[in-house]
Amino acid sequence: MVDLNPKMLEDIPVTSYSDNSTLLIKTGAWKYVQPSYEDKLPACSHQCPAGNDISKALDLIARGDVAAAARLWRAGNPFPASLGRVCPHPCEDQCNRGQFGGAIAIHMMERFLGDRSLDPEFLPKAKPATGKKVAVIGGGPAGVAAAYNLALAGHAVEVFDDKPAAGGYLRTGIPAYRLPKDVLDRELALVEQTGVQFTLNTRVGRDVSFDELRNRFDAVIVTIGFHGSRPLGVPGEDHENVYNGVHLLERILAGERPELPRRMAVVGGGNTAMDVARSLLRIGVEPIVVYRRSRMEMPAIPTEVDEAIAEGIRFEFLTAPSRVIIENGKVTALECRKMRLGEPDESGRRRPIPVEGSEFPVEVGGVVTAIGETAELDFLPDEARDGWRVAADERFVTPVEGVFAAGDAAFGEGTVTAAVGAGRRVAMVVDAFLGGRELPSVAPPTQASWERPVNIDQTVHVEQLNPAYFTEVPRPEIHELDPQTRSTSFDEVVQGFTEEEAIREARRCMVCGTCNECCNCLFFCPDVAIHKRSGAFGFDIDGDHCKGCGICVEECPRNALSLVEVKS
Amino acid sequence: MRMVIKGNGAVAHAVRLARPQVISAYPITPQTSIIEGIASMVAEGKIDARFIKVESEHSALAGCIAAESAGARTFTATSAQGLALMHEVIHWAAGARLPIVLANVNRAMAPGWSIWTDQTDSLSQRDTGWMQVYCQSAQEVVDSVIQAYKVSERVLLPTMVILDAFFLSHTYEDVEVPEPGLVDGFLPPLDLPQKMDLEHPAALGNLVFPDRYMEFRRKMDLAHQVALGVWDEVGREWGELTGRPYGLVEQYRMDDAELVLVTAATTASTARVVIDALRDEGVAAGLLRLRVFRPFPADLIRTILADRKKVVILDRNCSFGHHGIFHQEIKSALYELPAGQQPEMHGVIAGLGGRDVTVEDLRGMLMGVWEGRITKPVTWWNVLEAKGAETGAVAMG
Ligand code: SF4
Ligand code: SF4
Repeated sequence: MVDLNPKMLEDIPVTSYSDNSTLLIKTGAWKYVQPSYEDKLPACSHQCPAGNDISKALDLIARGDVAAAARLWRAGNPFPASLGRVCPHPCEDQCNRGQFGGAIAIHMMERFLGDRSLDPEFLPKAKPATGKKVAVIGGGPAGVAAAYNLALAGHAVEVFDDKPAAGGYLRTGIPAYRLPKDVLDRELALVEQTGVQFTLNTRVGRDVSFDELRNRFDAVIVTIGFHGSRPLGVPGEDHENVYNGVHLLERILAGERPELPRRMAVVGGGNTAMDVARSLLRIGVEPIVVYRRSRMEMPAIPTEVDEAIAEGIRFEFLTAPSRVIIENGKVTALECRKMRLGEPDESGRRRPIPVEGSEFPVEVGGVVTAIGETAELDFLPDEARDGWRVAADERFVTPVEGVFAAGDAAFGEGTVTAAVGAGRRVAMVVDAFLGGRELPSVAPPTQASWERPVNIDQTVHVEQLNPAYFTEVPRPEIHELDPQTRSTSFDEVVQGFTEEEAIREARRCMVCGTCNECCNCLFFCPDVAIHKRSGAFGFDIDGDHCKGCGICVEECPRNALSLVEVKS
Repeated sequence: MRMVIKGNGAVAHAVRLARPQVISAYPITPQTSIIEGIASMVAEGKIDARFIKVESEHSALAGCIAAESAGARTFTATSAQGLALMHEVIHWAAGARLPIVLANVNRAMAPGWSIWTDQTDSLSQRDTGWMQVYCQSAQEVVDSVIQAYKVSERVLLPTMVILDAFFLSHTYEDVEVPEPGLVDGFLPPLDLPQKMDLEHPAALGNLVFPDRYMEFRRKMDLAHQVALGVWDEVGREWGELTGRPYGLVEQYRMDDAELVLVTAATTASTARVVIDALRDEGVAAGLLRLRVFRPFPADLIRTILADRKKVVILDRNCSFGHHGIFHQEIKSALYELPAGQQPEMHGVIAGLGGRDVTVEDLRGMLMGVWEGRITKPVTWWNVLEAKGAETGAVAMG
């Protein structure tokens, strides 16, 4: 104890020292700013069209709770196992880990969690029934995502699809070597478990009228996708050996093995073109991809192109068809012209310009077209149509009362992932509509459905992290079947992560913008004003003693704290 | 064990023998090989300590302060700009009465940029409450670092052990490095009377009102007075153990000396050669080498210099606008002598920024004073003449 009434020099300590509590001194009165825990959007989630809560889930895995992570990932996304396999993973392009050893293999983590949660126990608990009924037209990724989220919100949902099975493009457009059908079937079975009713082989406008649906349901969501390729617009294309890529692919993926010429030209540079070419290769046809721009401009997922090249598929770049050459009633070649690239067009890509007199034949016995797709909208009333798309505003609201639209037919985003995100968002709008709440002026972003609060107006990029806390750790290798084996089979090419690999990869995640209780704030606070909550996640800040120095904010490795002004 | 090592190596070996628990340091020429040596020893397990790499000298000493406050024995080393950057926490270490030992390799301050020796860096820290020991050989470096821990921990004051850049830091010598057992017997483990204790939380260095501040400062000053005796005693004890006794100052051929050179550090070795030569020529010359400069042994120096004829004080430093710093200190110590016992005193400023101070230089200044050719109270040795000094042109141009 310090002697408070010293008589001699010996009665005082050698240096100033107080064994009274410093809590007496309310240093908090000095501050004009104070720290506050505020999760922000990590760069990865900012890029994820499906709205996955990546950082939180990876943190849960890193802490050893794989089940909680799997539950979290499936909470608003009915297709993690599928998306983990087919999504072009834009999340990884922006992943901050990219600057510290290589982006997190997020799609592999999604696939791992998706495969882990193919069991009803991983489904979120549904809200009590509301008595409201929703019809969803189109059982593709957008429709199913909307149905799943609305069913979990307590509504009775019925999905109408003209095919014998739901899944849309996931089923008809994606080959089994990328997405095994049983994975898709199991994800759809889980959606059924939430109470969604699938009415299949039923085409709206043929088997049931649009008006009938409007009468029977409180809300209708149109989520039909694209069907069919646009025509090439060249002479000879009505020959029977000129095929529509989407339809041909559907048939092959359904298990048909049609009689096809030995060599075929596949016209286009998008994902459908890649899927058609690689599927043809697997059934013994030699495909030649004909694309009018260069490799750089190809809209297909780059890794899909890499894989096709690795499988030995031939590409003719800067080449466009001019005529189908037919001799004695048989296709003998596709006449093409060389192209050169001019100024960028409205899509930002450089416009191809034909080179005069450069015609040359590509010798093939047949042609497959895969150059952009269209939707079939005849069942809709005129006011709900706007050219090739469904007329819908930024809230997914159409001019017809109680009718909403999302997905490719409305906005044409063109990826399965964007469709899932759109389904998630339209569900929030329709839920508000059914609950009699005011509709927002713009549909809420996917992250608005997350359980944890996140400031989605701020994205955490590398510049917002504290680099002192991160060292380089290399990205793991992803195992694939060798090109020899895979070009002759529809077996899945990419091999999934083991649990051990997944945990190791989750530990590489820097958990950007997301508090993970690393306790750095607590260690650094010079006023001991930060306290770990006992038995609960996170920390409390003792405002009486926090003097607003901001050291905790500066030292948070992942920018999960913000300084806010103190209003007097 | 006998080893051929540099002054910097001598520091590292002494630190190893003192068994510090925390070393916190930042590199700077010409000190770097000290902490490199220590870092290797830590890496090889020869020192069982935590080595903290920091981003600046300020943090280096702050790290020692924190560790020492928790009761750990600590060490750091620095030089020149690095020591200056530490300045704020230099005060803190002394005021908190933490017995930290720091090795400072004397290096001239910039600009102009210099890596060579002079004493301005360490003497700029004269009034911080640290003890200072100036060494003349690698052997003295080993011995002084070990003694510094013992004295510091007895009186609760930090010590700077100081060695000349290159002349000492990077020059190899034959050194007797004591055995660990000998040092363990001499230097018990640190047991601070007042340290952080998780069971009894307390605020250290807290606010002190005017009614108490002076008492803390008075205690610090008294500790320095006590330390004079402790250095003396510890130096003698070390002598009994090793055959190498040390005092607060060193006297060479002083018994009947009439002409005395007062200086510190490695210049003293050169000086002994000159003193011997002058003695051979019949001049009664002697050398007084300053060793422990803070606390300042004023009484001892007064006794030694009383009744000498002439005293030359060589400063490798300058307090601009006044004299060399050792010169000022000696003059103030001798002020109390009765007029009849006062020697004639001359200050010489030489060897700044690493310029050599040779046998010829020392002979020149000593004989200049002895033969009455040097009459000014202060002489800048061997610099270009200033023609315009009276008009001010030299200062402004
Ligand atoms: S859906 Fe795509 S973008 Fe989103 S996390 Fe999965 S791979 Fe990344
Ligand atoms: S490191 Fe983790 S949280 Fe950060 S961007 Fe990458 S996946 Fe997202």
